[in-house]
Amino acid sequence: MKTITILGEEVTTVSGEWADGRPLIKPEDLPAATGWTLKPEGLCRGDQCVMVGDGSAIRVGDKLDLAAVANAADQPALVDADAGVVVVGRPNAARRAAVHDRLAPDFTLADLEGVSHRLSDYADKKRLLVAFSSW
Amino acid sequence: MAGDGFGVVAVAIDEATESVRGLAEGITYPVLMDPDHVLTELYAISNVPAVVWIDERGRIARPNASEFGSDMFSEYSGRTRQGHFDQVRAWVRRGVVPDDAGSEVADLDDDELAARLHFRLAAHLRRTGDEDGAASHFDAAARLAPLDFTVVRAAMPLRGGDPFGEEFFALLEHYQAAGSPFHGISPSRHAG
Repeated sequence: MKTITILGEEVTTVSGEWADGRPLIKPEDLPAATGWTLKPEGLCRGDQCVMVGDGSAIRVGDKLDLAAVANAADQPALVDADAGVVVVGRPNAARRAAVHDRLAPDFTLADLEGVSHRLSDYADKKRLLVAFSSW
Repeated sequence: MAGDGFGVVAVAIDEATESVRGLAEGITYPVLMDPDHVLTELYAISNVPAVVWIDERGRIARPNASEFGSDMFSEYSGRTRQGHFDQVRAWVRRGVVPDDAGSEVADLDDDELAARLHFRLAAHLRRTGDEDGAASHFDAAARLAPLDFTVVRAAMPLRGGDPFGEEFFALLEHYQAAGSPFHGISPSRHAG
């Protein structure tokens, strides 16, 4: 067993194995690693479930492929077996809602003092969201 | 415009906390750090500055626009700080949005999305001391989105380069030769 690092909304680690470049974990480790739980109705998180059919797209033997799980949940994924890392992007639906439906995706980020803020903390106000940088 | 039910949330697409702290001096609204470029993924942002107007109900009233906090680039952008300020005031006070508010933002394509994941992995590997791994993923990101400033220019200081030096001007030249592809309301669209 090896440690797999997941760069998602948080950085988490989970014990698993790499098989042909695929990051595999035990189904019971999925909730702690990703927030998703595999149930008969599909991949579930909170009250939201995504159907995964017979599960063949995400299962390898009795293990689950983390990247395939992300893709099934409509999140892009990138794996680097040498580095032992899986990167999981934000749900594509959030960006599509912004681009096509003009719904501002919420996010949580820390300020310069390390205090977390959510965009929705400033709901009920008109807001300018200003992306800038030092580069 | 404080007290008008208005606020600003600034997000630095950056991991250089001290540099950002210098830029944020005297600013009273929240300044957030986004070292993993989450915002560029969620809002399809390809360069900074990018300003998004968001209304009380969480709807985007005017999408990603290249608006500067100073007039240093006015000659290039065809925009002034005052011009944007006046438009924001009209929106806050009277709900009036400019003609370009309905502009569409092109979605990220698969390569641009993958480039963001490579960038995030590269930045992570760099923080953990794996310089070779970082370099290979910064390279992969740049191959996938060669004209995206949040991918290519943002990587320059993380790779020991100068984001205001020769490699930046080379990027700018390629970008302009390709018609300045910007996800949102770009300087050229202001002028048009």
